[in-house]
Amino acid sequence: MLQKIYDWIDDRVDISPLWRDIADHEVPEHVNPAHHFSAFVYCFGGLTFFVVVIQILSGMFLTMYYVPDIENAWKSVYYLQTEVAHGQIVRGMHHWGASVVIVMLLLHTLRVFFQGAYKKPRELNWIVGVLLFFVMLGLGFTGYLLPWDNKAYFATQVGLEIAEQVPFMGQQIKTLLAGDANIVGAQTLTRFFAIHVFFLPAALFGLMAAHFILIRRQGISGPL
Amino acid sequence: MSEEKQQVSRRQFLNYTLTGVGGFMAAGMLVPMLRMAVDPVLQESAAGDFANVSLAVEDITNEPQRVDWKIKQVDGWYESEVTKSAWVYKDDNGDIIALSPICKHLGCVVSWEGSEDYPNQFYCPCHDGRYYKSGVNVPNTPPTAALDVYEQKVENGMLYLGNAQPQGEA
Amino acid sequence: MHKGKGMKFVGDSRISAERKPNIPKDYSEYPGRTEAFWPNFLLKEWLAGSVFLVGFMCLTLAHPSPLEGMADPTNAGYIPLPDWYFLFLYELLKYDFASGPFILLGILVIPGLAFGGLLLAPFLDKGPGRRPHQRPIAVGMMLLGLASVIWLTYESASHVDWAQRAEANKPIPPSEEVEIDKQDPGYAIYESNCMTCHGGDLSGGAAAPPLIGIDRSAEEIAKIAREGIGTMPADQFTGSDEELKKLADFIVSVNEQGN
Repeated sequence: MLQKIYDWIDDRVDISPLWRDIADHEVPEHVNPAHHFSAFVYCFGGLTFFVVVIQILSGMFLTMYYVPDIENAWKSVYYLQTEVAHGQIVRGMHHWGASVVIVMLLLHTLRVFFQGAYKKPRELNWIVGVLLFFVMLGLGFTGYLLPWDNKAYFATQVGLEIAEQVPFMGQQIKTLLAGDANIVGAQTLTRFFAIHVFFLPAALFGLMAAHFILIRRQGISGPL
Repeated sequence: MSEEKQQVSRRQFLNYTLTGVGGFMAAGMLVPMLRMAVDPVLQESAAGDFANVSLAVEDITNEPQRVDWKIKQVDGWYESEVTKSAWVYKDDNGDIIALSPICKHLGCVVSWEGSEDYPNQFYCPCHDGRYYKSGVNVPNTPPTAALDVYEQKVENGMLYLGNAQPQGEA
Repeated sequence: MHKGKGMKFVGDSRISAERKPNIPKDYSEYPGRTEAFWPNFLLKEWLAGSVFLVGFMCLTLAHPSPLEGMADPTNAGYIPLPDWYFLFLYELLKYDFASGPFILLGILVIPGLAFGGLLLAPFLDKGPGRRPHQRPIAVGMMLLGLASVIWLTYESASHVDWAQRAEANKPIPPSEEVEIDKQDPGYAIYESNCMTCHGGDLSGGAAAPPLIGIDRSAEEIAKIAREGIGTMPADQFTGSDEELKKLADFIVSVNEQGN
């Protein structure tokens, strides 16, 4: 039955080559921890992706309870953390995932760097990767304002003041981020929410797609 | 090794194991999230708190009268006061009846003798739904069930109302 | 593969009607033993992922995510601190060469050079050699950058008393939130004696715990105000005994309200 449905679709859309390319490619010996234990360093990229998946899923579920409004944001987070079954765990996954993803990203970057894997012909993929790192830091920065607790408020204020110091257009950058020239408040929260939930994830997906397509195109770098 | 059918090839075995491990990872991630998402479904509905509607029992007549009262509503992290209303009267046996004004058709608000054409009936202006005094819907009008009835009790001569419950099939 | 005329498509689409056998690509250029991604290698990756997930969930369960009190812009005693992965930037701005007149150095030039260098690494390090000892400059710069980030983060974090911070910023449950009667005669006395440390709404600050949700009698509070407790020095309160009584009664009344 499933086979018939698959054949029916494949007949029209020719999907086999898409997944066969992913499924059937051979993985070389030097990245396989079964042959060389030191090859575990090649896991960091995959684990980063795994944590990103955790972040996306837990974030989607958290928005079921969260409201980006200064009156209610903290209350809704407090509610989901204390009243909702497993809310504590899901918020914990998102909170710790944010830290773990940075650690994994750092390890992955160091692995690629010290192996010189960014050299020709993989320059573009390195740039995409560093941009992914920046997007991830941006997600971290916009994310910790959202619970609207003291840490969120004051740390964001410091961040915005740093942005204000930029010559010539500092004030404009700050206003653009905060929604108001002087107040860190309702408009700041909704802006950070939009950036955290829509804009940066959109960039993240695009860059991740490019990252993976480039890996499939070029293959993994050879052994040193 | 027996060369019979049903033999599992190495590739098949790996595929099954892969499915198992993948299932474990998916479950490990998703179980807390799904439990959180379905939490409202599993919450016990708040037991009907009775609220004083500021109506003395002796003031209730045979004629339905509308009473409005406020209850404190806790909606997750948001607490507010909401107004509820009921049509209250004494039936022929002297029992107090408190009917919900929410039309069972599409949720408009019905009123007693709301239309001059239909005396002694509850009338819903949205689609001409009608109910008898007992709350039972008039056949061949849009509503398909009788008006809900509030749980009620009397304390110190005052009327207390709780949650609205559907009337049995009348 | 056919080209041009003679190609057959499914209907009027651009999908080729000829089924090509799915032959895996040739990977003979790699030395040693290769193995198929699906299912052989992916199984190993997912096993590693499962172990990682178990560890991650243990971390999550062992350390509930922190939540401090609701943002209070008037809380003057709060010392802001970013998440740990921004601490190095935060610490950098404390140094003389990166603050005051040199602030641009701290917020733009130094991070810009570091991150710009990271972004453009493939173009700065163009040599053919991939081994670390074949490109000492690139590797040296990276080690230097890494060491300074770790050092700055450590410097910043080691000066913070994390436990005390968490204690002072515990959230007040909405059900225990109290209205503070600022017209109370006790509040005026509180304002002039205690507020600088304990905060305008008794919610505590960087140096002092909250005065809400404490379980002490008026006499005990009066004694603490005179003699101090823990890190609180003695003689913080400088008024008359009558004022002291009003103050203690006020603090007790606020606490009673919460229960």
